[in-house]
Amino acid sequence: MALRFEVLGRFNRARAANLTLPHFLCQTPLFMPVGTQGTIKGLTTNQLEEIGCQIILGNTYHLALRPTSELIDELGGLHKFMNWPRALLTDSGGFQMVSLLHLADITEKGVTFQSPVDGKPMLLTPEESIQIQNRIGADIIMALDDVVKTTITGPRIEEAMYRTLRWIDRCIAAHKRPNEQNLFGIVQGGLDPVLSYAIGGLAGGEDKDSFWRVVAQCTAALPEDKPRYVMGVGYPLDIVVCSALGADMYDCVYPTRTARFGTALVTEGVLKLKHNVMADDTRPIDPTCACMVCKNYTRAYIHCLVTKDAMGSQLLSYHNLFYMMKLSRDLHSSIIEGRFPQFVCDFLRKMVVLYAFFSLCHIHHVISVVTGIFVYLRELSCWGQGMSGSMIVFVSIR
Amino acid sequence: MALRFEVLGRFNRARAANLTLPHFLCQTPLFMPVGTQGTIKGLTTNQLEEIGCQIILGNTYHLALRPTSELIDELGGLHKFMNWPRALLTDSGGFQMVSLLHLADITEKGVTFQSPVDGKPMLLTPEESIQIQNRIGADIIMALDDVVKTTITGPRIEEAMYRTLRWIDRCIAAHKRPNEQNLFGIVQGGLDPVLRDICVRGLVDRNLPGYAIGGLAGGEDKDSFWRVVAQCTAALPEDKPRYVMGVGYPLDIVVCSALGADMYDCVYPTRTARFGTALVTEGVLKLKHNVMADDTRPIDPTCACMVCKNYTRAYIHCLVTKDAMGSQLLSYHNLFYMMKLSRDLHSSIIEGRFPQFVCDFLRKMFPKGDVPEWVCNAMEVAGIDISSCCAPFISSQE
Repeated sequence: MALRFEVLGRFNRARAANLTLPHFLCQTPLFMPVGTQGTIKGLTTNQLEEIGCQIILGNTYHLALRPTSELIDELGGLHKFMNWPRALLTDSGGFQMVSLLHLADITEKGVTFQSPVDGKPMLLTPEESIQIQNRIGADIIMALDDVVKTTITGPRIEEAMYRTLRWIDRCIAAHKRPNEQNLFGIVQGGLDPVLSYAIGGLAGGEDKDSFWRVVAQCTAALPEDKPRYVMGVGYPLDIVVCSALGADMYDCVYPTRTARFGTALVTEGVLKLKHNVMADDTRPIDPTCACMVCKNYTRAYIHCLVTKDAMGSQLLSYHNLFYMMKLSRDLHSSIIEGRFPQFVCDFLRKMVVLYAFFSLCHIHHVISVVTGIFVYLRELSCWGQGMSGSMIVFVSIR
Repeated sequence: MALRFEVLGRFNRARAANLTLPHFLCQTPLFMPVGTQGTIKGLTTNQLEEIGCQIILGNTYHLALRPTSELIDELGGLHKFMNWPRALLTDSGGFQMVSLLHLADITEKGVTFQSPVDGKPMLLTPEESIQIQNRIGADIIMALDDVVKTTITGPRIEEAMYRTLRWIDRCIAAHKRPNEQNLFGIVQGGLDPVLRDICVRGLVDRNLPGYAIGGLAGGEDKDSFWRVVAQCTAALPEDKPRYVMGVGYPLDIVVCSALGADMYDCVYPTRTARFGTALVTEGVLKLKHNVMADDTRPIDPTCACMVCKNYTRAYIHCLVTKDAMGSQLLSYHNLFYMMKLSRDLHSSIIEGRFPQFVCDFLRKMFPKGDVPEWVCNAMEVAGIDISSCCAPFISSQE
C-alpha cells in the first residue's frame, strides 16, 4: 500500500478525506481530469496547478502506443515526462481497447486485438497491463477488468464479473511496485444487484435510476477506510449525488469534451457559447466564477472564438476544469464544515434545468431516504417566462 | 499623430528607440506576432505578457467578417474585446483579400471581391478600410495599398505604386481618429528603385506618423529583398518608425535592423510551430524527427522560457505527432525566442555592442562560416564587419 486515507468529516454516507499519495496530498471528494496522451488538451502544467487539479488520469492504451511505456520508463516515468508534480492515475488500457477497437475480443487470457499501428494480432493480459503501468509509474494503477456495457444483458455480465475477480489475482501477482503504486480493483457486475474500490461498468448509457442504485450498493459494501472511485463520472449533478452516497473520486472527459463543443459549465447548468445571443454579451461566462477566463474574457469574445478558433475550446476547458475543481473543493469543505445538506440543496436550487428536475422527480424520495438529505419538491405550472409546460423546482431542507 | 518615436542609441544605420503608443511604450527593434482573429493561437493574454509581446497584429479582413467591426466597436474596441492591454496594429484588409480570394480584383475604386460569407460582390475602398480600422481601434492602422507580388514584372508595378499614392490621400481624408490611431503609409514599387523612390517621397510629403515597406517577403530573391529595404530605410525620415511588413525569419530581422528598420510582423514563428519546428540559436529544431523521441534536453538549453524550463524534447516530440498541445508549446517558445531577439537587438544597440551581437548571432547560426552572400553584402552596406563569422573565400584564381 502506498497511500493513506484519512476521513476528516462526514454527513451520513458522505465523507471528506485526505488521500495522501506518493506525489501529492489530495482532498476528496475530487474530480480527476483526463489527460489522455500525457497532456490535458491545451493546458500547461502551470495552468493545471492554477486550476487546482490534484490527480490527472492518463490512458495507458494511448501512452503504450506512443511513446510506449518502455520509453516513459527510460525517461524517468510519466510524472517526469509530462512534468506533472502532483498525482497521476493510469487506467488498465482495457476500456479503450474495447471501445476503440471493434476487432477487440476478450478471452480468459486477456484482451486480444489488432494493433492499430501495424495490424498485427496482439494480446493485453492482466500481467502486461500491470507491467505497462508499472513502467509509467502513476500513483494509482487500475486492474485490468472485463468490462461490459450496462446496456447489455444476459450471462455475459456474470461471466465478466467472475473473470474480473480471477484477473485481479493475476494483477496483484504481476504488480512489481506495491510500495510506490496503489493497485485499485474494479467492481463489475452490470446492473444486477445480486452480483455486485473502483465502481466500474457504469456511465455507459444506463438509466440514471439504475446508475445511482449500483453506486449506492457498492459504497455501502466497500470498506469505510479506503477510497472509492466511480469511473467515468461525470456530470456535476452525478458527482454531487455519488458523493452524497459515499464515493470519493471521479474521472470523465465530459468537462473538456463539452468545452470543445463550445459549452461551459456554470452554476445554472450549461452555457452554450456558440449560441447567437452570446455574440454581444459582455458578461463573463459565470459572474460568480473566479477563474482566469472569467476574470479576463467576455462571452462575446469567447463566442467569436468558439466558432472559428481552437482557442475558444481551450479557454472553455480551462474554465470547465476550474468549475470541476471548485465543485470538488466545495464538496470537501462543506462536509468538513458540517454544512453538506445545505450545499446540496443550494446546488440543486441553482441548477434550474429540466433534466435535473426530471431525473430528480422520479427518484428524489428514495435518494432522500438513502442520503438523509430530504428534498421537498413542489411543482408550479407556467411561470410567465414563456416556459409553458415546464416546472420550477423548489427545494428546501426538511 | 498619436505616437512618439525617440531614438536612444545607434550603430550606423541601426537604431534602438522608444515607441510610445496610446496603449503601450514599446522598444524597437521589435517583432509583432500575428493574432489573426483576435487571438494568437493557443496563448492566453497572461502568457503573451509573460513572453514579452508588445504589439500584436490583427487582421482586419478576418475581424470584419467575424465578429464584424461594428460589433467590436460596440463592445468597446478590439483591446477590450480580446482583453489585450498593450498595443495593437491592424492591417488594411487588402492583402488577405488578394491572397485569399482568387476572385479579388483591384480597380481605382478599391478591391472588389466575392464575399466569402454569401458570395455577394463587395468592394473594399480605402475609405471603408479606414472606417473598419477606426471601429476596431488599434494603436496603428495601415493604409489600403495596391500590393502586387514582387515576382511580377511589367507596368502593373508602376500602376500599383501610383495608385497607392492616390489611395493614401483617401485614407488620410477618411481617418476619423488621428489623435488616437496612427495611420502608416506603405511604400510600394516592386523591386524597381526608381518606383520605390517616387513612392517614398510621395508618402513622406504626407507627413504620416510612420511608414511601412510593403510588397516584399513574397518570394523575391534575398539579394533584391535587402536592397529594397536598404534603399527605403535610407530615404525614409530618421525620426519616424519603419515597419518591414511580412518579415520574418530571424536572420532577415537582424539584417533589416542593421539596415535601419524598426518593426516586423510574420506568421512564421507560430506557423512553423504548428509544423513541429522550434526556433533555436543554431537555427531550427524539428521536433517531429525521430531522434527527438528520447532526447531529455529542453528545446534550447539556453532559453529561459516556460516551455524550456518545464518540458523536454522527448515530451514535445510525443505531443507534436498527435496533439495540438505540441504546437501550442512550440508557439509559446517560438514567440519567446522572437521577443528575446527583439530585446537583444534593442539592448545591444543601446549598449554599444551591436556589431558583436550580430557576429555572435551569425556565428551560432552558421558555425561553419557559410554565411550567405546576401547577408555579407547587406552587412557591408550597413557598415558592420562580419568577417570573423565568415569562412575565407576560396578564390577562383588560386
